[in-house]
Amino acid sequence: MDIRLNRVELLRELVPMQGIVERRSTIPVLSHLLLRAIDDRLEVAATDLEVSLTSSCEAEVEEEGAIALQAKKLLEIVRACEGDDVALSLDSETQTVSLAAGKSRFKIRGLPADDFPTLPSLEADGAVEVAFPTFKKMVGKVFFAVSSEESRFQLAGALLEQREGALTLVATDGHRLALVESEVEGLEAADSVLVPRKALQELLRLEDEADLHFRRGEHHLSFTVGRRQLICRVLEGTFPDYERVIARDNDKHVVLPRQSFAAAIQRVSLLTGDRARSIRLNLRDGELELTAANPDLGEAREDLPCEYQGEELSVGLNPDYLKDFLGAVETDTVRLELKDEDSQCVAYPVDGDDRRYLCVIMPIRI
Amino acid sequence: MSRIHILDDRLVSQIAAGEVVERPSSVVKELVENALDAGAREIRVELVAGGKRRIVVADDGCGMDADDALLAFDRHATSKIDSIDDLERVATLGFRGEALSSIAAVARVELRTAETAGEGQRVRIEGGRVVTVEPVAHPQGTRLEVASLFFNVPARRKFLKRPQTELRHALAVIQGYALAQPEVRFSLRHDGRMLLETLPVSADQEGLRARIGQIFGAVLARNLIPLEAAVRPGERVAGFVGNRQTGRGRRLFVYVNRRLVRDRALLAIFYRTVRETWKSDAFPALFLFLEVPPEEVDVNVHPQKAEVRFRDPGFAGRVGDALRAALEQARGEEPAPLATPVAPPSMPAAWEGLGERKQPLRDDGGTWRPLPGGEVSEVREGAVAGGDELADGGARSYGRAVEPGPAAGVAPRIAQPNFTPPAPRTVPLSGRSGPPRAFRLLGQYKGSLILLEGPDGLYLIDQHVAHERLLYERLRRAFADESTPSQSLIEPQILELGPAEALRLSELAPALEPCGFALRPLSGGAVALAALPADLALDAAERLLQRLATAEEAIENDPGALRRQLLDDFAASQSCRAAVKMHHPLTMDEMQALISELFRAEQPYACPHGRPVVLQMTDVELERRFGRR
Repeated sequence: MDIRLNRVELLRELVPMQGIVERRSTIPVLSHLLLRAIDDRLEVAATDLEVSLTSSCEAEVEEEGAIALQAKKLLEIVRACEGDDVALSLDSETQTVSLAAGKSRFKIRGLPADDFPTLPSLEADGAVEVAFPTFKKMVGKVFFAVSSEESRFQLAGALLEQREGALTLVATDGHRLALVESEVEGLEAADSVLVPRKALQELLRLEDEADLHFRRGEHHLSFTVGRRQLICRVLEGTFPDYERVIARDNDKHVVLPRQSFAAAIQRVSLLTGDRARSIRLNLRDGELELTAANPDLGEAREDLPCEYQGEELSVGLNPDYLKDFLGAVETDTVRLELKDEDSQCVAYPVDGDDRRYLCVIMPIRI
Repeated sequence: MSRIHILDDRLVSQIAAGEVVERPSSVVKELVENALDAGAREIRVELVAGGKRRIVVADDGCGMDADDALLAFDRHATSKIDSIDDLERVATLGFRGEALSSIAAVARVELRTAETAGEGQRVRIEGGRVVTVEPVAHPQGTRLEVASLFFNVPARRKFLKRPQTELRHALAVIQGYALAQPEVRFSLRHDGRMLLETLPVSADQEGLRARIGQIFGAVLARNLIPLEAAVRPGERVAGFVGNRQTGRGRRLFVYVNRRLVRDRALLAIFYRTVRETWKSDAFPALFLFLEVPPEEVDVNVHPQKAEVRFRDPGFAGRVGDALRAALEQARGEEPAPLATPVAPPSMPAAWEGLGERKQPLRDDGGTWRPLPGGEVSEVREGAVAGGDELADGGARSYGRAVEPGPAAGVAPRIAQPNFTPPAPRTVPLSGRSGPPRAFRLLGQYKGSLILLEGPDGLYLIDQHVAHERLLYERLRRAFADESTPSQSLIEPQILELGPAEALRLSELAPALEPCGFALRPLSGGAVALAALPADLALDAAERLLQRLATAEEAIENDPGALRRQLLDDFAASQSCRAAVKMHHPLTMDEMQALISELFRAEQPYACPHGRPVVLQMTDVELERRFGRR
C-alpha cells in the first residue's frame, strides 16, 4: 500500500468509525480499523461483529494493499497532524505503516488485514429509499424508549416496519413505548424487522446526506448513507403486539404548552423520592398541578394552566419518561390522553409533521 | 379399674400412621416410591383438592398377584428386605413396610393391580378394614386411590392446610422424583388440570439437564455447569451447579442413590464451598446426584429418610472438591477488594474481627508481597513469642506482612551489625498515660481503610462497608413509613418457574401487592408480572421473585412482614451502590463524620451482607508482636 490523500477527508471517515470499534475487546483486531487501498480510493471499515461500518475516500493510489490499524491512535495522529495531505505506505514485511503529514513522520505498527473479520455483504438490489434526515428524526423520536436492559434482548432494539407508503419505528422498554410513523413514497411490500440499539445509535451519529438506502438480508440489515454503509445483525425475537398495547379509550384529554410543561416537570422532579422517581399530575378544570414528594427532603408543587375540561384526575408518572418525550417532540403544544390512575398516559404532539407520533407511559401507583 | 390398658390394634396403626403419613404429600411420596421400586416407566398422579379429597397414583410397574395385593396392607409387609442384613444393602426407596398399612389405616383406599394385563385384583380398605376383594380387569401395573385422607382422624385433618398449599407440597415431592428419575415419565393432574408432565429422557448428564429444563424451564437449564469428580469405583458424583445468574434462588436438590435427601452435612459443604469460592452468600442452584454402594451409606437414620450417613468419611471431601471445581468455573472474573494483584484480600488472623469473619483464613503462603529492601525470612511455627493461641496461618501471614520480630528469625534488613534486640520492657502500650483515651482518628490507609486509635488498641474500619451500613440504616428508617410506588408494565413479563414455585408465588401474590408487585398465575408453571416496585429494575425484580418462589423456609404470608423483608433487601443492595468505594481518599473531616455516625449506628460491626466493618488489633497483641510481653 502506498497512497496519498486529503487529511480532512480521511478524518471525516475516521470519526464515525470510533463508535463501532470495541474499546475493551478481548479480540485485539476489533479495536482496529481495516484500511484497504484499491483503484482510486481508500476503503475504511470497523466492526464489533454485531455492527459494522464501511466507508471510503478518494486517494491517489500508487500501490494497492491493506492493513489493520488501531482505530483510536490513528484518529489521534491524523487529527493532530498539520498539512493538507497524508501519505500512507505499508511495509508488509513488518506490517508497519509509515504515515507522513506536514513535517511529521509516524511509523504505526498494525495487524495483518487477513486477521480482520470478513464483513457480511448484502445484495445491492431491493433497496428501500428514505430521506435520511427524515429517518434520523424518526430514530431520535423513539431511541429513548429502547431498552438497555440486557436480559430483555428482544426489546434492545426498535421495530422497523414498512407498509405501503409508510415507515413505522417502535421501541419499548417495558415501562413506556414510543411509536413514530412517516409517509414514505415508493414503499410497497409489507415487512418488519428488529434493529439493534447500537445500529440506531450509530445511525444517529452519521453526517447528514440526502438519502438512506435500506436493505434486508436473511440475517443482516444494511443502511447505506452516501458512501457509508452500516451493516448490523437482525435482532431475533418477538416484539410486543404494539397496536394492542396502545389505549384507544382514554377519554380525558389535556393540551399543554410543551416548553413550560417540560420546565415545570424539571423543577418539580427535583424533589422526587430516592427510591423511585415519580411525580403526580393532578388535573382540574383548566389547571394541571404537578407534585412531588421526598420523605427526607420535602415537597414540590407547581400549577400550570392548561386546556382541560372534565372530571378531576390524578395520575403518577415517571418524570424522566415525560421529559424524554417532551425533548424529542418538535411541536409547541402536546396532548396527554388519560383515563384513570391505573391506566396508561398516551402523549401526542399537537399538529406535528409526522403521520403519527405517540408515546405510551405506564403509570406508577402509590 | 386399672388406668393402664393395652391399645387396640387399630389405634396402634393410626398412631403409627401419623409417623409416616403427615399430609397428602407424604402419601404421594410413599406411593411414588413404591411405583419406582416396582420398576415403573410411567407414573401418573392425580389429586383432587390438593390431595385432601383424593390421591391417585397409577404406574406401569410389575404389579402384584392376588395374595400380595392383600398382604401389602399388613404392617411391616414389604417385598424389599428379608433380614436385618438386607438393611445394609437397601437399594430400593422404601423398605420399612409401613407405608401402605399406615395409609390404609387413615383413609379409604382402593388398590387395583395386575402382574399381566387383564387379570387383576381390586382391594378396598376403609380405615384399616378390608371391605372388598374381587378380580378386576386391569393393565399391568398398580393403581392406588387414596380418598378422604384422615377421615377417621379429625385431629390430623384439622391440621391440613388449604388445597393450594397441600398441592404445592405434593408437587415438590413429584418434582423431586422426576429429577432423580429422568427415564421415567411423570405427570400430575390437579382437579383435572395438567400441572406437570415430563417426557422420558436419558439418565446421563445431558438427560438430567433436559429433565431440569422440563421442570424449571430452559433458562435455568442453560445456566448450569456440570459437576465432574474423581471418585472411587462404585461411586458417582454427578449433577450441576448454577452459574451467577441462578444465584439467590434456593433450588437445592441433593440425591443419594436417587433418594432426595435434606442432609445438613452435605448442604453445609455446599454453602461453605460457595462462600469460599464465590465470596458471597448468593447460593446458586444445585442439583447433586450421588451414588455410592448401598452398604456404604446408612439411610435408616430418619423415618422420612431425610438424613443419610456415609461410611467413608472421605466421601464428603470428594463431593466438596467436585463442587469447588464447578463453582470456580462458574465464578468468572471478580475484582479483589483492595485490587492488589499479588496480595490476597485476607487479613492476618491476628486482627481480630469484631464482626464475624465469614471465610476461614486460608494459608496463601508466599503470596504476600515482600517488603522492599530485602528478603523476608520464613517465620517458624510457634516461634512468635506468646503466639500460641493464634492460628498458625494467621501468625505466619502476619509475620510476612510486617517483618518478623527478632524472636522470629533474623531478616537481613534488621540484622545490621549495630542492631541489638530490644530488651523486654515492662511498660505496656496500654495504660501508659493513665485513664484510657477516647478514639482518635489517625488517617486513611490506601484510600480504603480508616485507622483509629482506641483505648485498647488499633482499629481498622473498612470505609465502604461502614458507609454502606450507615446508608442501610438510614434507608431502612426512611422506608419504614413510605409506601411503595408500583410501576405498571406495558406488557406483562412472563416468569418461567417450576410448577411448585409458580404455585407458591401465586399464594404470595396478595401479600406482595402492597409491596408494588402485581402477579397473575398462568398455566404451565408461569406467572405474569404486570407491575413491579418502581425502584426495582426488571432483572432485580425477577431475581427477587424467583428467590421468594424457591425459598425453603416458610415465608410470612403477612403483607407487613413481607414488605419489611423486601425493603431490607432493597436497602441492602441500594446502600452498597451508593456507599463510598475503596480507593477513594477522604478528608479528615469526612472520616470523622463517618466514624461518629458509625458509633451511633444500631449495628456498627457488620454490613448488611454480613461482612465485618471493624477489625481490631489489641495493645496486648501489638506488645506481643514487638516482643514486649
